[in-house]
Amino acid sequence: MKPQEPIPHNYSIRRLNWIFALSSLGLLVVTGLIVGYDYIRGWKWFQLEFMRMQRERIVQEVQLASSAENKQLLANLDEQTRRNSLELAAHRDQYLSAQKAFDAMEGDHYRADQDYRFAKANLDAQRYIAEVSIVQHRSDAAQQQTEYERQTKHLADLQVRLQEVTRQRDAAKANVDQWLKKIKDAEDKRKELTASVDLLDKQLNLVDMDRFSTNWILSQPMLDFVNPVIKIDQVVLNDLSIDMNYMNVPRVDRCQTCHRAIDTPGWESKTEAARLSQELQQKLDAYDIPQEKRKETEGRIAELKRIQDAPSDILNPWRTHPKLDLFVGSASVHPLLEYGCTVCHRGQDRATEFGRAGHTPASPRMEHRWAERTMLTGGFFPLPRDFEKRNWGYEENEFVETPMYPRHYYEAGCIKCHSGQMSVDRGDDITKATQTVELYGCYACHKINNWRFSDLRKPGPDLGGIAEKTTPEWAFRWISEPHDFRSTTRMPSFFYQRNMVDPSVVPPQERAHNIKLQEAEIHAIVSYLFDKSTHRSWSPPGAGDAARGKQIVGSVGCLGCHVDTEQVKDEKTGRIRLAKREDFPLERNYGFNFTGVGTKTNAAWIYNWIKNPKAYYTDAPMPSLRLTDQEASDVTAYLLTMQKPGFMNTPIRPPDAQAVHDLAKGYLINTLSDRDAELRLRSMSGHDQLVYLGHRSIEKYGCYSCHNIKGFEGLKPVGTELTVEGSKALHLFDFGFMNDQQWKNEDGATEHVIHTVPSWVYNKLRNPRIYDDRRTKVYNDKLKMPNFHLTPEEARRIAMVVVGLTKEKVAENRMAGLDARTRFIEEGRKRVSQHNCRACHVVDGRGRAIASTIADANFFPPDLSPEGARAQSPFLFNFLKDPTVMKIRPWVSVRMPTFHFSDEETNTLVTFFAQEGQRSQFDTARNVNPTAQNVMIGKQVFTMLRCGQCHVTTPVQNPENPPVPNTAETASLAPNLTLARLRLRHDWISDWIRRPNEMIPGTRMPANFPRDAATGGFQSPLAMAIDTPQFAQYKATLLPLFKGDEKELKRTMSDAVALTDYLRDYIWSIGIIQMRTASPDGQAPSMAMPQPSLPPVAAPAAKSTRNQRGAPAAGSGPGR
Amino acid sequence: MTFIKDFINVLSAGSISFTLLTSIFALIVYFNLLGGRIKAVGGMAFIGLGVFMLLMGIFVPPLLYLGIAYLLILFALARLGGRLWDTKVGLRLFVIGGLAFGLSMLDPNFFLIAAKPDNVPIVAMIFLLGFFTWVALRKAYLNDTQIAVGGIPWEKTESDEKLFTWPDLVYTELLCMILLTIVMIVWSVVLRAPLEEAANPTSSPNPAKAPWYFLGLQEMLVYFDPWLAGVVLPTLIIVGLMAIPYIDTNPKGNGYYSFRERKWEIGVFLYGFLVLWSFLIITGTFLRGPNWNFFGPFEFWDPNKLVPLVNVDLSELMWVKVLGTSLPKLWIIREIFGLGLIGAYLGLPPVMAAGPFRRFYNKMGAARYYVGAYLFLIMMSLPIKMVLRWLFNLKYILHIQEIFFNV
Repeated sequence: MKPQEPIPHNYSIRRLNWIFALSSLGLLVVTGLIVGYDYIRGWKWFQLEFMRMQRERIVQEVQLASSAENKQLLANLDEQTRRNSLELAAHRDQYLSAQKAFDAMEGDHYRADQDYRFAKANLDAQRYIAEVSIVQHRSDAAQQQTEYERQTKHLADLQVRLQEVTRQRDAAKANVDQWLKKIKDAEDKRKELTASVDLLDKQLNLVDMDRFSTNWILSQPMLDFVNPVIKIDQVVLNDLSIDMNYMNVPRVDRCQTCHRAIDTPGWESKTEAARLSQELQQKLDAYDIPQEKRKETEGRIAELKRIQDAPSDILNPWRTHPKLDLFVGSASVHPLLEYGCTVCHRGQDRATEFGRAGHTPASPRMEHRWAERTMLTGGFFPLPRDFEKRNWGYEENEFVETPMYPRHYYEAGCIKCHSGQMSVDRGDDITKATQTVELYGCYACHKINNWRFSDLRKPGPDLGGIAEKTTPEWAFRWISEPHDFRSTTRMPSFFYQRNMVDPSVVPPQERAHNIKLQEAEIHAIVSYLFDKSTHRSWSPPGAGDAARGKQIVGSVGCLGCHVDTEQVKDEKTGRIRLAKREDFPLERNYGFNFTGVGTKTNAAWIYNWIKNPKAYYTDAPMPSLRLTDQEASDVTAYLLTMQKPGFMNTPIRPPDAQAVHDLAKGYLINTLSDRDAELRLRSMSGHDQLVYLGHRSIEKYGCYSCHNIKGFEGLKPVGTELTVEGSKALHLFDFGFMNDQQWKNEDGATEHVIHTVPSWVYNKLRNPRIYDDRRTKVYNDKLKMPNFHLTPEEARRIAMVVVGLTKEKVAENRMAGLDARTRFIEEGRKRVSQHNCRACHVVDGRGRAIASTIADANFFPPDLSPEGARAQSPFLFNFLKDPTVMKIRPWVSVRMPTFHFSDEETNTLVTFFAQEGQRSQFDTARNVNPTAQNVMIGKQVFTMLRCGQCHVTTPVQNPENPPVPNTAETASLAPNLTLARLRLRHDWISDWIRRPNEMIPGTRMPANFPRDAATGGFQSPLAMAIDTPQFAQYKATLLPLFKGDEKELKRTMSDAVALTDYLRDYIWSIGIIQMRTASPDGQAPSMAMPQPSLPPVAAPAAKSTRNQRGAPAAGSGPGR
Repeated sequence: MTFIKDFINVLSAGSISFTLLTSIFALIVYFNLLGGRIKAVGGMAFIGLGVFMLLMGIFVPPLLYLGIAYLLILFALARLGGRLWDTKVGLRLFVIGGLAFGLSMLDPNFFLIAAKPDNVPIVAMIFLLGFFTWVALRKAYLNDTQIAVGGIPWEKTESDEKLFTWPDLVYTELLCMILLTIVMIVWSVVLRAPLEEAANPTSSPNPAKAPWYFLGLQEMLVYFDPWLAGVVLPTLIIVGLMAIPYIDTNPKGNGYYSFRERKWEIGVFLYGFLVLWSFLIITGTFLRGPNWNFFGPFEFWDPNKLVPLVNVDLSELMWVKVLGTSLPKLWIIREIFGLGLIGAYLGLPPVMAAGPFRRFYNKMGAARYYVGAYLFLIMMSLPIKMVLRWLFNLKYILHIQEIFFNV
């Protein structure tokens, strides 16, 4: 064979080897890169850092625990142990023999126990064999049965033996223990003393990261998968799922991975610690904390104090949740394991990286700090050094659909579950926010399809009769700028806004043009409104006395909803300035400010309006205060003095014909050709053109959304629906050219738009036209949302509601207030809010805005907090329909108005009060007839306690109409008790007598049965008094009623519950049982009402207000 | 700097870049590989075109840019001459390309798009495509020069050699494996998975883009009726690719690179693949932004950008604009121009077979000739339609809503 020719290699093998070596090395390096990249993940650093902080904390605590005192005690114990050992050594032989005996017994016991257990196992097996042999009819069935019985007996014997051996062994053990007892006792004590330090040591072990400690080794790269110390912490929430469009996936909140201490108290920030310790201290001082928890609480306060005194503050993400008692804490209503974090805060639940988790900056400054990072790693990810500088390498992630609510908007998260409630318990911010939305009527232009904001009335008055009420000149000036007329009005400014006239953003030429167009539009709107207005004539008032009118306004309750001044004293500067809405309670902003009302409207209108607002339009929110003609005339005279002449002096230019023409044509050519439009316009008179343009302008600005306007019935509201606005993607918000821009608002504040939804909404609310800045738009395309001149706080609140309205759904069992009882209550609360009951009453512990205008607390309208438990539903129903059916406290000058509630509405309210008081709505208590004996005892007690000093017990004159106390005794300010049976719940009466102060703090009703400080039971003042000579005659009268049993009498006299029940029975017995019921329209049969605080009216007024009206009254039939 | 960026932004506009690429393609491929008379004539023609565009640029500014680009490229090519296929020149081109890319990355808008994890492979694709095309053409050039002087192709000499599987094949494969693994690991560590929000049937992303390999098809949708761009053309692409071995019976170039011997085959294929497919993918990836608007590489992808899109049908163009009458009611009359134009276009092959392409017809036979010709015509309809759109805002040549037939 010929030797084969050597075949040359295509490549140099040497070179290939080199490449191989280098690339293998490269592979090794990149493998290291994988490991390293995983090893330096941000969240790991947060955990390590927290472990370090924990170590520091534990070391401090160990130092505290091992005080000098403890050290001394421990030394003593050691010495004792030593002595005991010596003592034991002296009796070594005895001890050893006892130990030996015990060891032997242990062996015996072990054997006996084993024998017993083996035998038991055998027996079980034998039972099976025996049973099977019977069932299968085997020949050895009987034999197996016998064997089974034998074994049973054997087992019993073994058991007896085992018990005997156990007894002996225990005896031996006791013998040994006797010798060891002293040593053991000392050891136990020692353990007790060192327990806290041992515990701390154990904790320290858990967070130990010293080099070559177990934790350290387990955390090394490539080893950290075995049993990681640093690992992701997560809560899986199956029923709070995330809607991924095609399926619902469980929520997996990993926030705790970095927010390590979120549910652990002790890591609060300094400010939070100060707040919490103060709160706890207050509770402690008020004995609000049960005895067994006091010590624990004191420890917690000490801990909080230490945090406050610490040299450095604890920073996020290691802080404790500031409201642990409400959220996250295991004892709170929203425990971490059931609610997680992202349900409320939003954010990307599974993300473990700062930027990807959906953190949202609250301000540009915060954003810039977050976004910083060193470029060491090419800026791909932040490093510990960045974290230490609190730079998180943040990048806005446009794909996170649910970015977190930034600071100041946290409570937006409540809406998702609490939208079925009028107020969120302990959610003051969100409650105020929803109230603000309701007050400004955002829901009118922007549909908000949830329970809280549906079925609310239009916020503005009906404009169907505007010509009867005011003049076109006033209306023109008002629409131009409502705030010029009334600084506190809620009517927003539509015209002459930033995008139209502000010289800083609108070029001068365009500005002049815009002003012309705006004027034309206002003229047009006014023309339309007055063109379509009814022209009913209202009867003029009689001669009125303004001074008396002012007194009436101040006393009958007008000022619960209205404010009568525009000048307030500034709290800061002390100077008189123009009022702002927030100068008054929310409730007093409900009605308009009286200032200038005389300039706005005329005497006849005011007179008829205050007499019966529903006559002007049926949905009028204003109730009737049942003013007599004279009272109404006086009030009218007073209101007419509220003039603002300066307002009517601003000149009005006539509409620019060209502007009207251009605008009208702009609408016409949507459907017509240019020529037809021109023809149509030419066929119209100037006025018709204005009316046409008015119609279109009202449509454009959506005036009809808030006001009832003829020709716009049933139209959809003008604004964007907000039902799921909080879920709208960020890119759908038109920032114009305002992203990351600063701008100056009219109130001088500088605002800054950043690229988040809350920021967009907030800035939009601060100035709705802001996103038109620097844009080139034709007139009709410019933004048209009106300016409410909201304060930053109001804008923030409303923005919070808007971003809280999301499409995220939670399982029904997580929704708040869905049970039937709460629904009844919430429906009632909605009415309470809508009718502004809180202007006068306290409901749910809030309200009574009118209080600031009444000097004496005894003349306040009643506190309705316990109303449900107090009043009987039939009474309440009638009273709400027609408050004249009963006058309970005649001395109170504030009148309960007639609201003309429908039956349905009234029922809602009655049900609300009953449900809130946790009582059944109707009961048979009124038919309870107390026994004569009880009544007699009750009467004696009544006299003994001198109840008659204040309360009147003589029946009312005419129970039918109206039941007014027949005595002039009004100084005592106590209700006539004969009205109680009709009005009050049977068992409430005795309860009330026992503890009036607890039910209504500050009531004038004295507490006759003070609580015993030790037991909390009620004490009776009569227990001692009955034996005194002053009470001898009562005793004599009472004895027969107790069949002469003095002991029983005394027992009863010391029993507060029995006494109050007797009192109740007496009160029940004198009660009238008939009252007038309300008529369907809630109108009182007669307007004549003796008013103690006012001079009596000469002649009874006519039957009803509606008959006093002129011809148009025919329009409202008798059935109304 | 701004000027250069603006210059490139304007140049990259579909109408200009596509035209430029088509012509440069011809310039490079034909003149550099063929030389001689064609080169001289073609060169003069392109110089003329460039100068004409410069002049027209006074009226239509973008043409000015096009003209400048033309002349610059022509100048560069003239300087290079045949040296374009030298390794050194190739390397230099590659480095210049890389440098240009690196410099462009300094622009924030360019960086945003090019460094997007989705797009990184497409960037790599541009370079790989350029490199491999250049390598293939270089080899063809070398072989052609060999063959021209009576030599044999380089592949022929190489295929006579014998080599061991180990180490020549397996060892190099192992090395490739390792190196690729390294690249993949670095890639996966450095670039994050381009995850977006959860898919939502009610909201589509803007721009809504097809997977990168379908972006060419998506680009076609801009110019054609969906049934053509989405159904007919893709089908024909696949069918056409399958038909190539049966149509192309030229035995030359088997097993070795050669351009001169297969100039039509390679020319048509490269034009279809590079210009009509890859270039459209690149356009779709880097230059199509929100609302499918066109954005230059240095332009910010502003979702608010508005571009007038008013297109007309050929029938409207002819009847209303040219003839000044209204549209006829009957569609067959209304679309007479479109039908005629398409008829003429489709009637080209028989006419050509009788005329200038007689040589092809004879060589290939009727079946091959017609199948090949119609596939080619349909392929060429894309650039034609594109140019018509740019020049006349032409929407459809044939627009028969009555039977839902649009071309």
